[in-house]
Amino acid sequence: MSNTSHEVVQGPHHESGAASVALSAHHITKRFPGVVANCNVDFDIRRGEVHTLLGENGAGKSTLAAILCGLYQPDEGYLTRNGSVISLPSPRAGLAHGIAMVHQHFRLVERFTVAENVVLGSSDLSFRLKTKDLNDKVAAVADSYGLPIDPTAVIGDLSVGQRQRVEIVKALYQGAEILLLDEPTAVLVPAEVEKLFDNVRAMTASGKSIVFISHKLGEVVEISDRVTVLRNGEVTGSVEGRGSASTADLANLMVGRHVDLSVQRAEHPIGHEVLQVRNLSLTVNGVKRLDNITFNVHEGEMVGIAGVAGNGQKELADVIAGLTSPTSGTIAIQGVFTTDLGPIKAREAGLAYVPEDRLGMGLVPSMSILDNLLLTRKRDVIVDRGSVRPEAARLIEQFEIKANGPEHVARKLSGGNAQKVLLARELSGGRTPTALLVVCSPTRGLDVGAIETVRRLIDDARSAGQAVLLISEDLDEILSLSDRILVLYRGAIVHETPGESAHIETVGAAMAGLSK
Amino acid sequence: MRFPLRFEARTDSPKYLSAAVPVISIIAALVVGAVFLLATGYAPIETYQEMLKGGFTTFYGITDTLGLSTVLIFTGVAAAFAFQMNLYNIGGEGQLYLGMIGGAWAGLAFGDSLPSAIAIPVVLLMGALFGALWIVVPAIVRSKLGTSEIVTTLLLTYVALNLMNYFIYTSSSFFRDESTTGFPQGRPLPESATIEAFGSTRVYPTFFLAVVVALVLFWIVKRTEYGYRIQVIADSPRAAQYAGISAQRTTLSVMMISGALAGLAGSALIVGPFEKLDISITTMGYGYAGIVVAALARYNFVAIIISAILFAGLRTGGDKLQITSDTPVHIGVILQGAVLLFALGGEIFRRYRLRVVRQQQQAVAS
Repeated sequence: MSNTSHEVVQGPHHESGAASVALSAHHITKRFPGVVANCNVDFDIRRGEVHTLLGENGAGKSTLAAILCGLYQPDEGYLTRNGSVISLPSPRAGLAHGIAMVHQHFRLVERFTVAENVVLGSSDLSFRLKTKDLNDKVAAVADSYGLPIDPTAVIGDLSVGQRQRVEIVKALYQGAEILLLDEPTAVLVPAEVEKLFDNVRAMTASGKSIVFISHKLGEVVEISDRVTVLRNGEVTGSVEGRGSASTADLANLMVGRHVDLSVQRAEHPIGHEVLQVRNLSLTVNGVKRLDNITFNVHEGEMVGIAGVAGNGQKELADVIAGLTSPTSGTIAIQGVFTTDLGPIKAREAGLAYVPEDRLGMGLVPSMSILDNLLLTRKRDVIVDRGSVRPEAARLIEQFEIKANGPEHVARKLSGGNAQKVLLARELSGGRTPTALLVVCSPTRGLDVGAIETVRRLIDDARSAGQAVLLISEDLDEILSLSDRILVLYRGAIVHETPGESAHIETVGAAMAGLSK
Repeated sequence: MRFPLRFEARTDSPKYLSAAVPVISIIAALVVGAVFLLATGYAPIETYQEMLKGGFTTFYGITDTLGLSTVLIFTGVAAAFAFQMNLYNIGGEGQLYLGMIGGAWAGLAFGDSLPSAIAIPVVLLMGALFGALWIVVPAIVRSKLGTSEIVTTLLLTYVALNLMNYFIYTSSSFFRDESTTGFPQGRPLPESATIEAFGSTRVYPTFFLAVVVALVLFWIVKRTEYGYRIQVIADSPRAAQYAGISAQRTTLSVMMISGALAGLAGSALIVGPFEKLDISITTMGYGYAGIVVAALARYNFVAIIISAILFAGLRTGGDKLQITSDTPVHIGVILQGAVLLFALGGEIFRRYRLRVVRQQQQAVAS
């Protein structure tokens, strides 16, 4: 895509060599009750380099990043900055050494302007803010790294990609030499990812170092000068040189075995219509969240809804699941109109719903697996847990859920296992056998192994003849699984394409609102 | 130099802390009480010994303690039941007054014409009903509009207090005893609407009612569909919405039941020792004490029985102390407040642990 700029960036870095290590971590061990998050980890970052920390969730990359920026203190091991030992008791101390973290969840004040957010926390502010000076200073810093941003814009009005840029500018303004980017692409559309990568290249060209934390293999291969892979808190491998690692190699290092994330689209007949959505609109506080949506999903068909977060996906799922009443339009599940009738009626018509928010919406965190199975079922006045226990045990076995049995508390499950419990409940049918499965971001935040399983389970449901509505921000997931793809932009369906012939560029452009 | 102690989040809360936090809260409260005792010139150890003796050692000490614990169990479970859904019914005191008013009214109006077997349950239930009605407005505005129940229930307590005053002091009041010429008194209930204490003690059969109510509530929350719903809503309202469980209706009913339990505390006092509307109840603070009892028991209904007895013992001991020595009775109130603060503050240790932070340089050198 941008091979020319990448050559330019890589030039100076190769000349500088290993001598210019900016920050390194030596023999870092960090324990939390019951787990060793980092075990004797060595990691270093050179000036002008993008060094990726790759690993599954729970592999210890966030812990290591937290240690590098001063959020956590290691139990053993130490850090060196430009060769001398440093101690970072707090993120502020990290900043004093030029180390800053850009968190996945932005820490910006929505009502403040860009400039106000950027200077927040700076110690050299005068009592009366000289707004104009600050605006100029912030704009100057931003421009010098090719990060154009209007310092007077209010954060609340900015897109996710722009907010991320503000976070980066803030780190640079505070004098960061080493930036830790925690899953920076998780919230971006493909076009924004490209922009971010351009920014990253511009920053490394001017001598900044970037620690890129990710589990998306494609991006990692594209942007990294070096990749270090963590698994179970230990370094399992390190690959030097841009483009020298393949996604397959990295996946193997991450998981420790061969994985295949591409689901084979099985040939299966598409049957009668299960979900029918007609002219669905939803207006909340005068804002149009859903705009005249019409589509249907058939037996044995998987329809994927692509879109950038906040374009109406959550609202669409909630309306179909009976959690929100639409302003106008109708929903029918298996010919039964469920509009306005609430979640229980929708379920009785054959709905199963796996919400994006697993723990807290799909599952009750403080409750056991057993009690969570009861959540969407018909319960007697006196809850008969004894009769459900064998079924719970069977589902735990069938779905390969790692738990100490039906009494295992949902909060203590890993993300992948929590998702499996949720799928087990929804697929096993509660009030009525499942006919329609609505799943939102089913693999978000899961590790590679769990992603594989969850995608297979969803695909099995489709093969078994259920209608599946897959709503996901992960475009790869939509592309690899769906029979049909709909793109949601500002609450409206702006693009529709069969899954087999879908092009990532076309779908990506539609997601960004560039089609038609 | 940094403070070498830090809080770290626990991934898991060990079981022993559930017992350790309340016990340490009480010890810490006793230490705070000791400071006040020392400051006012009393010997703390001796005072506490006397209190323990007064509340827990003699026959009358123990029976007085059990007798007093009855009302504290009721107000304790009232606070705890609302808290099952993270609702703070601070107005148990006011609902208790209304329970007394309702109970006294039923007893005075129907007591003569009904046999005891019917009159007593009617008095008790009327108290529960009045308590529930007293919380109905806070319950509705909380469930429909999200108005803080802490404020509304607390403020209604002051209304209830004045209602009490009105009913006792107004000369034309239905509740007023017109036969007394001195200080205004409530009219005593007919005998058929009251019950006797056991022997020469101050323990009434309502004590067993309180224990049974606590156990039944425990069972309801753990075993019934209603309890299941309460747990779901308490932990994650969004999961409740997802499953089609109405948080509004459950909020309404949970608060009404909480109010009914506090009202029952009041009507149990009416059939028990009071047998009339008595203004002295407004100085006892049993409704507020119930919140402390519940907090110390960590809102567990079975543990509330124990913490209510413990609290009753402290108060009985404190009362006896004032009779035998000149120690001010308010030491009991100080202890009650301190226990609440420590019990609530101690919750942080269930979620976090203290960690000694080693100096980084030492770690490198080693």
